[in-house]
Amino acid sequence: MRAAAETGRTPPLEEAKIPWLRRNRPYLILLPAFLLTAGILYPFGVAIYYSLTNFSFKYEKHSFVGLENWVDMFSDPGFWHSLWVTAKYALLSTGVEMVIGVGVALLLNRESRLARSLRIVLIFPLMIAPVIATLIWQLMINSSVGVIGHALRGIGIVDFTWAADPDTALFTVVLIDAWVYTPFVILLTLAGLRSLPKAPFESARVDGGSAWFTFKNLTLPMIMPFLLIALVFRLMVSLQEFSIIFALTSGGPGDTLMTLPLTAYTEGFTYKELGYALPHMLVLWLNVFFASRILIKYWSRAQERASGV
Amino acid sequence: MLKWLRNLALLAYAAFALFPLLWMLIISFKHDREMYHTIFLFSPTLENYRVLFEKGDYIGYFLNNLWVSAGAVILSIVVGVPAAYALARFKFRGRESIAFTFLSFRFAPEIMVILPLFLIYQRFGLYDTYLGIIWVYQLLTLPLIIWVLRGYFEEIPPEIEYAARLDGYSWFRVFLKTLVPLIKPGLVASALLSFIFAWNSFTFPLLLAGQNVVTTTVAALQYLSSDTVHYGQMAAAVTISILPEVLLALFIQKHLVRGLSFGAVKG
Amino acid sequence: MGDLWIRGVSKRFDRVLALDDVDLQVNNREFFVLFGPTGAGKTTLLNVIAGIHIPDRGHVYLNGRPVDHLEPNERDVAMVFENYALYPHLNVFENIASPLYSPRYRQPKEVVRQEVMRIARLLDIDALLERFPAELSNGQRQRVALGRALIRRPEVFLMDEPLVHLDAKLRHQMRAELKEIQSQSLDTTTIYVTHDYREALSLGDRIAVISRGRIEQVGTPEEVYHRPASEFVAKAFGDPEMNVVEGELIEDSGRMYLDLFGQPRHFPVPDDVRNILDHHSSRAVRVGFRSKQIRFYPEDPEGKWLAGRVYSFEPLGATAILIVKVGDHSFRLRVSSEQSWEIDQPIHLAFDMDRAFFFSASTGKLLARSEERKGDVPWPS
Repeated sequence: MRAAAETGRTPPLEEAKIPWLRRNRPYLILLPAFLLTAGILYPFGVAIYYSLTNFSFKYEKHSFVGLENWVDMFSDPGFWHSLWVTAKYALLSTGVEMVIGVGVALLLNRESRLARSLRIVLIFPLMIAPVIATLIWQLMINSSVGVIGHALRGIGIVDFTWAADPDTALFTVVLIDAWVYTPFVILLTLAGLRSLPKAPFESARVDGGSAWFTFKNLTLPMIMPFLLIALVFRLMVSLQEFSIIFALTSGGPGDTLMTLPLTAYTEGFTYKELGYALPHMLVLWLNVFFASRILIKYWSRAQERASGV
Repeated sequence: MLKWLRNLALLAYAAFALFPLLWMLIISFKHDREMYHTIFLFSPTLENYRVLFEKGDYIGYFLNNLWVSAGAVILSIVVGVPAAYALARFKFRGRESIAFTFLSFRFAPEIMVILPLFLIYQRFGLYDTYLGIIWVYQLLTLPLIIWVLRGYFEEIPPEIEYAARLDGYSWFRVFLKTLVPLIKPGLVASALLSFIFAWNSFTFPLLLAGQNVVTTTVAALQYLSSDTVHYGQMAAAVTISILPEVLLALFIQKHLVRGLSFGAVKG
Repeated sequence: MGDLWIRGVSKRFDRVLALDDVDLQVNNREFFVLFGPTGAGKTTLLNVIAGIHIPDRGHVYLNGRPVDHLEPNERDVAMVFENYALYPHLNVFENIASPLYSPRYRQPKEVVRQEVMRIARLLDIDALLERFPAELSNGQRQRVALGRALIRRPEVFLMDEPLVHLDAKLRHQMRAELKEIQSQSLDTTTIYVTHDYREALSLGDRIAVISRGRIEQVGTPEEVYHRPASEFVAKAFGDPEMNVVEGELIEDSGRMYLDLFGQPRHFPVPDDVRNILDHHSSRAVRVGFRSKQIRFYPEDPEGKWLAGRVYSFEPLGATAILIVKVGDHSFRLRVSSEQSWEIDQPIHLAFDMDRAFFFSASTGKLLARSEERKGDVPWPS
């Protein structure tokens, strides 16, 4: 380097300091989110801690009881019944929503005037809070005032039991759930349908494939990522659905509709046994967590396949 | 032939989806007197709405919902936009885990969070406060905002920031004047959706709030469990409470598609 | 005014060492070219100068004063980015005017309008002022980016491969225009990054050759072309690439010869080179010949040339690329396309040893090149 010798310049003695604010800017930017996250994760940690105690709202003190709560829970038939009801509810509502949702989306994917105007308006139910939807439906099926009550009476069905009877209660809540959430599946499926490239379909038409063939081998694989997202979301959310059942029957009649969230609520707030309530939810959460991981793996595989078509 | 069937199926579903809402609207104009013996033909009245406004409670609930939902969204924007930026730009250990953590908030079982939060809120005096509800609503509003905006920030080439810096703007001004305009579609879309999530929340205000902070969703419970025969008022209350969302839904349509799809910044 | 000193700068990203102890001095008003292959660290170095990246080690001095602590907006540096980095939500006028709206360089509205018009006219884009970047072609975007950088008078002007995304003809034209702008209106220290050696040779007052974060050589175009510091530099300039082969130095009756490929022909080493090579520890060297320092003949009556076979002959208009295989090695020559060659045709090569480059076999650095004959044609057109 002929540098110093050539110009006769000697290295300055001062070493420049980089201001603290500049150096740490990334961390400062992240700070608010970190604080918020910590504020949210803290209760989660507390939940795990309390599930290992016999904390109760009834008494002042609580003590560490280890896995006693968990053992009690697993040996309680009510827990297993809850698990079963939760699974029934989630699978049933998700299934119905997927089938109807995809079907309606396919129907909506045309350019008729009807389809175009309906597309705008059909997401309304999704905007309604489930508890309000429950209120609306309860009003509708009300035997004296409700329009559906009236209509049924007109056909000769009097006193359809709806939520009062164990046999029809599940049907009723699934109906309300489907009313609210089917548009979600429709939205996602439409997004998938809209993202489809034209080329493969044109060549399929030229090759003379039937509509079912096109659907099964072209459409379905290519929209699979979107369908899986819808499936994952719906499943995860419906497993934790609380408001509809709570608002309609609080878990009844009897314990027909006692899903895990309902059970946890009852244990925690009605019986005031916090320590006992928590493991119920933790079980649910763990299920959701692992189910979502598996489904997300399916989803990325479906994505690859969809782009390769 | 097929076309007819298709249209029929579509209309059938449309009826299923929309009729309840229409019926609510209709009933809200029906006087209690006529509730039992008429179905669709009646003389409309504004009586139900009048009572609702006069009594004033319901308007209070509506406003509560407005404060906590808007407050939650605003807090989420203030916290979420920088977080999304950091997740998009900085490479650091555990970045994906943190991103996944934010996302997982959305799927945290409400009851599971509420049980311990109930205790914590009692201890810190956050129970039944606006702040407490806004804080817990972050579980609903923050994930979507971070998720969408992260994608937006990733689409913006860092060179645009560098260019603005060299033009003479400080980091903060670059953020405000250059980056924020570029993420606006995503910001609007995710903020509106998050607002709806917050507006519709039921479990949180039910269990973490009492008399002070009653939202329309919790108020609906009153109607469900009460033996009231003021069905008309109920319908009016429901109509008022879902009105903002229906309007938002119409407004959102335009922004949703544009806002939730990226690729707005090329060249 | 705007002289720049980069001292001992190193920068690491995760596992990659982007800059490795870089020392450079750029003189005031110099058009300084930073030349190297992709990934060599050129953009990183520009970003360090601009203040966008903070180096792990080392310092940057502007006019003798350290600027390490200064934010990019405090350094009085302007930059044209490889992908233009235009603001998509602003039109061309606002893009160019952007520096003059900033808190640091703010000007009154009338002045801004004047300046933007002046620059726009200079760059021939005054018709585009209302358009948005998405509506412009690459060439137009490049001019807008240039305009945005030109509109103020910075101490240092940085350009990151500004012509790389333009088609060949436009690139040629812009090269000439840039040179014109720089010497006439600019008069500012400029650091220009490119991986195109033709650009480097034609535009630069001095060139720094960088590879893998290290500076290989700094010199005038003549120096880098005729006295490359290493094999890497020698190969970087010239098309086709300089042919570099392994050879061995042997003595025979008092003279030094170069032995290539074990063929029983010696190539005499010029005396002044020999004097230097005598002190070199190893007998193994690498020797470089540019295409025009190699002559070729179909026959070798006197048996004193290198024997090989034609591997391929590719006419490209007026000239052609001839590849000759000698053993495992391929020689690339640029020849006239008037005479054609057949594949596998035997061919003999003679080397102009007076112009040969001798590199160390272990370090790749230039050991010697004869000074006896001068007056090279600078570089191919």
